[in-house]
Amino acid sequence: MAASFNRSGPSDLETSSVNDQSVSSRSSNRSVRVAEKERRKNEAEDPVVLALKYFNDVEAGTPVNGNDEVEKQLVLVEKVGYSRGLSPDAISVMLEFAMSLRMGTTLCPRVLKCLIPATTVPQEAVVRAVVWLGVGKIPATTQVLFVKWVLTVFDMIDEKDQLRAIYGFIFNFVTDENLCPFICHLLYLLTRKESVRVFRVRKLLELQSKLGRQPFLLHLLSLYKVFCPELVTLSIPSRMRSGFKNHTSPWKSALLFVQKRNGSQVSSNVSLAVTVKDKTSTRKRKHHHLELPKLSSVVNKPAQTETSSSRKLVPLTQLHSFAQLLENMHRIELPSQMGSLLGSSMALHYLDCVQDESALLRLNFWLGYSLHEEFLFCSDGGASQYSEEVLQFLNRLLSTQHFLQEGFSSSEAFLYKFLTVWDGALYRPEILGLLSNIPVIPSSQIGRLLFEPLMQLFFTSSLFFKCGLIECLNNMLLKWLTWHSVYALEDDLDISLHSHTSINMTLSGFKDSVMELVLFVGRLASVGLQLEGCHSVLLSFVLDFYETACDTFLKYGLPLVLLPPSGVFYPALLASDPVSVDRLAYIMYRYKANLTSAKNQEKVTEQAFHISRQTFREFNSYIAVMANYLWNSRVFHPGMGVQLEKELLLKSNVPEYWTSFDLIHHPAFMSYAIDFHRKCWPGRKDMDLNSIKLSKPWGWYLEYLFTQGFDGLKLFFQGNVRQQKAQGDGQGDSTPTQAR
Amino acid sequence: MSLLKPFSKLPGINSANILLVEFEETFQQSLADALVEETAVTVNVRLAKSLPLPKENEENRPRIDLVVFIINLTTELSFQSAEASLKCLDSGFFLGKVCFMVTNARNASVPTERLDSVRKLAASLHCPLLFAEDQTPAGVTNAAERLLTILKVTAGLVPMTTALYLSNLTRCTVPPDIDQPTFD
Repeated sequence: MAASFNRSGPSDLETSSVNDQSVSSRSSNRSVRVAEKERRKNEAEDPVVLALKYFNDVEAGTPVNGNDEVEKQLVLVEKVGYSRGLSPDAISVMLEFAMSLRMGTTLCPRVLKCLIPATTVPQEAVVRAVVWLGVGKIPATTQVLFVKWVLTVFDMIDEKDQLRAIYGFIFNFVTDENLCPFICHLLYLLTRKESVRVFRVRKLLELQSKLGRQPFLLHLLSLYKVFCPELVTLSIPSRMRSGFKNHTSPWKSALLFVQKRNGSQVSSNVSLAVTVKDKTSTRKRKHHHLELPKLSSVVNKPAQTETSSSRKLVPLTQLHSFAQLLENMHRIELPSQMGSLLGSSMALHYLDCVQDESALLRLNFWLGYSLHEEFLFCSDGGASQYSEEVLQFLNRLLSTQHFLQEGFSSSEAFLYKFLTVWDGALYRPEILGLLSNIPVIPSSQIGRLLFEPLMQLFFTSSLFFKCGLIECLNNMLLKWLTWHSVYALEDDLDISLHSHTSINMTLSGFKDSVMELVLFVGRLASVGLQLEGCHSVLLSFVLDFYETACDTFLKYGLPLVLLPPSGVFYPALLASDPVSVDRLAYIMYRYKANLTSAKNQEKVTEQAFHISRQTFREFNSYIAVMANYLWNSRVFHPGMGVQLEKELLLKSNVPEYWTSFDLIHHPAFMSYAIDFHRKCWPGRKDMDLNSIKLSKPWGWYLEYLFTQGFDGLKLFFQGNVRQQKAQGDGQGDSTPTQAR
Repeated sequence: MSLLKPFSKLPGINSANILLVEFEETFQQSLADALVEETAVTVNVRLAKSLPLPKENEENRPRIDLVVFIINLTTELSFQSAEASLKCLDSGFFLGKVCFMVTNARNASVPTERLDSVRKLAASLHCPLLFAEDQTPAGVTNAAERLLTILKVTAGLVPMTTALYLSNLTRCTVPPDIDQPTFD
């Protein structure tokens, strides 16, 4: 009996694939067909088949109460549904039975609940059920349940062309108050450019004035606006509540369970379909909840599609080379499952250069929805038993974002939420990777969305996390600056960072955001270094950040110079490893280059930006401190950043305390000084480091240090310190040259 | 009702004492096992279902450096119990020696209002609010690590910082509705 309902079986598949299937995939088709036949033979004796036969043939008006037969059969079907999932034929039989109300309304919800598809859902069954919905005898709650079911299994409906054909019919249900949110979601998934009409827009606007600015209406309208901006004049907020909140977790978990269970059985078949573009794979595409769907097209026979529109659409699946992509750029048919785009490099090329925003909008919608469902609303409380899969998914998302060189707005919105409930360890590398890709946030929002959750995580987490976060923020800054240098308009000071993110930002707005970020890292770094006892690994990551921050003007053309706070400067200057001191010297050298070139530009053009005197003053005092500490042996000099009372210093009994941090006695360089001493005076028994301080050996000592790879010190020295030959005692004295 | 006081006893040398309060008594055991793995300092873990603590052990109970309330978001009772127990703490504890640890925050069945009320509670007491993944070993280890980070500070083992200073940096803030940021 089941055979007679097999409408979307292999025969259909075959005709559609004949056009462009290679020989190899046709042979895999045959193996599928053989397996299908085998399966059907086994099913003949199966009690489930008998149960289905019962539900197919049962007469309308058969009483439910006291009917043991129907109870028995239904329990059987439920058992199969919840354990293995129902076959496409079983779904059409049961859906037809439920929606036609042949045995009244009581059984209907129960049947709907157990409709867990094992593989796919035949489109025709859904279309017929939608028609039954129009008959109008079904109670409202059951109607909602049905639409929710369609939304849950939407990705498993084998084709969607007929559903799209009855778009207008489905649209009529938006006036139903109970159904409206769910119908809007369904329409969102089905909408194409041709479906957007004036009267529909009018209807939605009318509903909006009646119901208020409901997110589901706004989402649908925003999609309409993308397709036909001339029809929707309404202003849509650039950020909206992410996704439709139609959680259907009981179904989802049941579906997941069935897919997991079947996954082990079908996995051998999956390996047959190696290429992404193999059409046979569409039938078993969703075995795991986060697996990317295979790229498949909604159009089966390209020759006769789109009779209404004049242009011919080419599905992405039929393009195999970049040249083909270029030829067909203007008439690409997007796949019905936008997630599949992430898996295809061709599709990513298309996404990268496409002007039409609908592709990104749909992709963002799908992505936001799945991220939300999988990470923020887990049915099992977040036990990561699927972590391998999740990792793959996140890594794919990351590599996509790297390819496109920008983040998706949906992943951004997801991150803001996720950060507030993150434990700091779950998928740490991936989350930090995604975080570093987020586009520029307006400075008014950045504290609330980003800094507050991050600060709480930073100070309560391990050193490892602290380093990771600083690195992530460094990458974020790098990306923001790179975007700026690419998108900044030359003639105008305003920049538009829109490309695919819908934020337009003025230059001053962008500057404010960058400033907030740099200052925030400054705060994190100062206190973090203090808490971790100036750990040199953390210090290294912090200096990484300032190597980016010191070059904002020269390298990225952003008129902004922000110095590190003293909480970073002094730990680096007084660090016990020479690398940190050397890097600090390099950073200060770059700051000087940036400041002087900004100064010069200010003199040449009137329009140039203004750097506050405070910045120059601060920079000069840093330079003076460095020169005095490292070269001039004038530590704790009055008027400098760190001061100590003279009595206290004398009490400490440190001999010649003022020399403690010069290049000879600095804890980081002492070993070099000793080594130099040995090489310089090999015969000497007693070590007198102070003898290096004499004019000649001091010069040699510096030369020696520069040959050890301390290029930062060398650059800093050449740029900032003038050697003055004093006559009397022969000791060199250096004075810092000031930037202003 | 006897108040638990933070400064009534002298601290031990190179040791830190943490009190885990959890109504369900499920997560605290695995967390305690992970906490005592620490080798740099002697960590004593005390477990309790709720406060006040029984009177009889009062004498040989060490000074408590950090009180952690573990709240399982899936039950309302867990939150209510923690809220009631808070009254048995001396106000001195709220100068950085109390923190909340929430489990199951990403669960679909948890109403968002419950998380909001925990947030509000933590924010009103100026306490940090940590999230933990209690179902995976890695999550438990991480939760223990984060608690140790705080514990070492509150026990006075980290130079140049105090419990109050740290809690000023990590205390919970009530985020406004993220769903509807006013961007335009």
